[in-house]
Amino acid sequence: MARTRFASALAFATGFLLSAAGAYAQDVIKIGVITDRVGSGKFYAEPVTRGIELGAKMINEKGGVLGKKIQLIIEDDQNKPDVSAAKARKLVDDGVIVIMSNTGSPATQQAQTVSLETKTPHLTPANSADTLTTQLDNPWFFQTGPLASIQLATLMTYTKSRGFKKVAIVRDNSALSQSFAESFRKGLDGVGIETAVEEVIPQGTTSAVANLQKVRAAKVDAILQAGILGPEMLQFFRAYQQLGMKEPILGSYNLSIPAYLTMAKDLMEGVVFVDAYDETKPEAKAFRDIYVKEYKEEPSSLPAYGWDGIHLVAQAIEKAGSLDKEKVRAAIAATTGFSGAIGAKGSSWGFRNGGRSGFDPQGAVVRLIKNNQHGPVVHSGQK
Amino acid sequence: MRALLWLASIIAASLLAFMLGGYATDVYRKMLVWIALALSYNFLFGVAGQIAFSQFAFAGVGAYGVVILAHKLGLPFGVALAGAIALCSLLAFIVAVPSTRLEGFYLALATLAFAQLFLVVVNEGGDLTGGTGGIAGYRLPDVFGYTLRGPWYTVVLVLLVALTLHILLRLERSSFGRACRAIKDNPAVAAAMGIDVRRTKVITFTLTSTLAGLAGAAYAYVDNVINPPVFGLDNIFLLLFMIIVGGMGRPAGAMLGAVLLYLAPFVLEPIVGHAYLVLFGVLVVLAILFQPKGLIGLIDRLVDRLGPEQRA
Repeated sequence: MARTRFASALAFATGFLLSAAGAYAQDVIKIGVITDRVGSGKFYAEPVTRGIELGAKMINEKGGVLGKKIQLIIEDDQNKPDVSAAKARKLVDDGVIVIMSNTGSPATQQAQTVSLETKTPHLTPANSADTLTTQLDNPWFFQTGPLASIQLATLMTYTKSRGFKKVAIVRDNSALSQSFAESFRKGLDGVGIETAVEEVIPQGTTSAVANLQKVRAAKVDAILQAGILGPEMLQFFRAYQQLGMKEPILGSYNLSIPAYLTMAKDLMEGVVFVDAYDETKPEAKAFRDIYVKEYKEEPSSLPAYGWDGIHLVAQAIEKAGSLDKEKVRAAIAATTGFSGAIGAKGSSWGFRNGGRSGFDPQGAVVRLIKNNQHGPVVHSGQK
Repeated sequence: MRALLWLASIIAASLLAFMLGGYATDVYRKMLVWIALALSYNFLFGVAGQIAFSQFAFAGVGAYGVVILAHKLGLPFGVALAGAIALCSLLAFIVAVPSTRLEGFYLALATLAFAQLFLVVVNEGGDLTGGTGGIAGYRLPDVFGYTLRGPWYTVVLVLLVALTLHILLRLERSSFGRACRAIKDNPAVAAAMGIDVRRTKVITFTLTSTLAGLAGAAYAYVDNVINPPVFGLDNIFLLLFMIIVGGMGRPAGAMLGAVLLYLAPFVLEPIVGHAYLVLFGVLVVLAILFQPKGLIGLIDRLVDRLGPEQRA
C-alpha cells in the first residue's frame, strides 16, 4: 500500500515537474544566434550581434512577441564552418525557433545544412555572399544582408557617375581580397571603365609606398580599394598620405567595419565606400537614438543589420501567430515591404517571387568618411 | 586477444554514435576526422620528423576530389573515391620528390607554399570548386544498396580512424618505421646504415598525405558541404599543437591531443568564456616547457609510478 502511494506521489511529482517545465518552455521564445567572438569574423559579427541583443531587449520591453519574451541563445563558432554547423545543431537541441547567423558566409553556408535537415527557420541579417541562397535549395534559409553583387553594382554606378575612365585596383593577397578585386574588374569592364593597374600589397608588408608609386605613375582617375586585411590596408592609407596623392579612393563594404576608423585614424578622410545605411533615414534615426541611449556611442551600420534582422523575425512570429517552425518559415517567406534601419531611403525588404534574398536592389548607398566617422550618403542605388 | 580488443573498441566507439544527441554526434563526428588527421600527421612529424604544413591541403584534395568527381562530373562513387585518393597520392608524390630533399624550415616552407597554392586554386576554381563559397547540396550516394546516413555514417568515421591507426601502427612497428625514426634522429647515420633516406621520406610523405586525403574525403560527407576555410592554415597549426600537447611520435598521444584540443572550445567556452584561449595557450606552453613528451609522457610516468607490473 505504502509502495503504491509512493509510486502515485512520484508519478504526480514527475507530471508536475514536466508540466512546469513545459509551461516554462512556452513562456519564452528561444532564438539562436551564431556569432564569432574570437575568430577572424569578430569585427563584424559582434556588432551585428549587439544589434540583435538591443532589438530583443526593446521588443521584450514592449511586451515581447505573442505575449512571450524573446530569449536569445548566443553561440560562438569562431568563424569556422564546421564549428558553425555543430553550433547550429546545439541551438536546435536547445529548442530555438529561429537561427540567426552573423559570422562569415562559408560558416553560414555550412550551418544551413542543419537548418535544412532539422527544418528550422534560419536567417542571416548581414552576410552578403550571393551564393548563400543559390548553392543549396534550402527553403528554411533567408538572407536580408545586401548582396555583394548589389553593392558592387552600386559602387560601379557611382564610379561611372563621377566620370572616371581609368582606375587602379589595390588589394592584399588574401583569398577574399582576390575575389573582391576580380568582382571589381568584371564590374568595371561592364561599365566600360579601364583597369589600368592592379597592385597587390602582400601580407606582412611594412610599406605600400612602392605599390602606390606605381599607381601614381599610371595616372589613374581613381583608386578602387579591394583590401580586406587591416594591417596591409593601413599601410595603403599611410602610403597614400605620405605620397600626398589626390586620386579619389573608392572602397568596398569592408570599410563599413568601424574598426578601420580607429586603425587608420586621420588617414581615411574623403574616402568613399559602399554601405547599406543612411543615418538620415527615419528608421535609422530611431535606431540610432535607441543605440546611443543604450551604449553611449554612435552606431555603425553593422548593429543596424542585427536590429532589423531580429525585428523581421519577431514580426514573422507575430504574423505566424504560433511557434510552429513551418508557420514561422512561411511568415518570413511572405515578408514584403519591410522598412528598417538598413537600406537607402525609400527602399524596403521583401522576399519577392519566392526568392530568399530580400535586400532591395536599390538599397545600397555610397558614403563619405568624414572626421574619422562614417559620414553622409553621396550616392544611392544603381540608377 | 589483440583482435578482440580492436573489435571491442570499434564496437564501443560505434555504439556511441547511436547514443548521442544531435549536437554531441556532430562534434563527435568531426572529432573523429581530426583524430584520423592527427594520427597521420603524427607519423609524418612525430615519427619521421618531417615538418610539413600541407596535411590539410591534402585533406582538401581528398574532399574536393571526391565531391567534384562524384557530384560535378557524375562518376560512380567508388570510382570517384578511388580517383580522389589516387589524385592525393600523385600530388603528394610530386610535392614529396623535390620537397623531401629539403630539411627543417625549408621543407616546412615548401609545403606551406603548396597549402597556399591549394587555397588559391579552390578559391579561384569557379564553378568547379564553387570559389569562396565552396560546394554544397550533394549527398553520399548509397553504397552497395546501403544508405549511410545518421549514426551509420559515424560508424564509417570510426572505421576510418581504426583503419588509419592500424596501418600506421603496422608501419611503425615494421623495419620501415624503424628507418623513419633513424632518419629523424640522424639522417647521415641512417644513410650510413644503408637506409635509403630520400626514398623513405618520399614514401612517408606520400602515404601520410594520402591518409589525410582519405580523412578529407570522409569529412566531405559529414555536413555535405566543403569550403576553403576548413582547409586553411589555421587548422594545420591546431593539428601541430595536438601532436605536441598529446605527445609527439606516439599514436596514443596524437589521439589524446586531438580529443582534448578539439573538444576544448566546446567544453571550456560555456564555462570560462573567451578565457579558454588563454588556457589553451598556457597548456601548449606548459607542454613544451615541462612535458616535451606530451600528456602521454605524463601518463607513462604515472603508470611507471604504479610499478611495472601494473603497467603491463
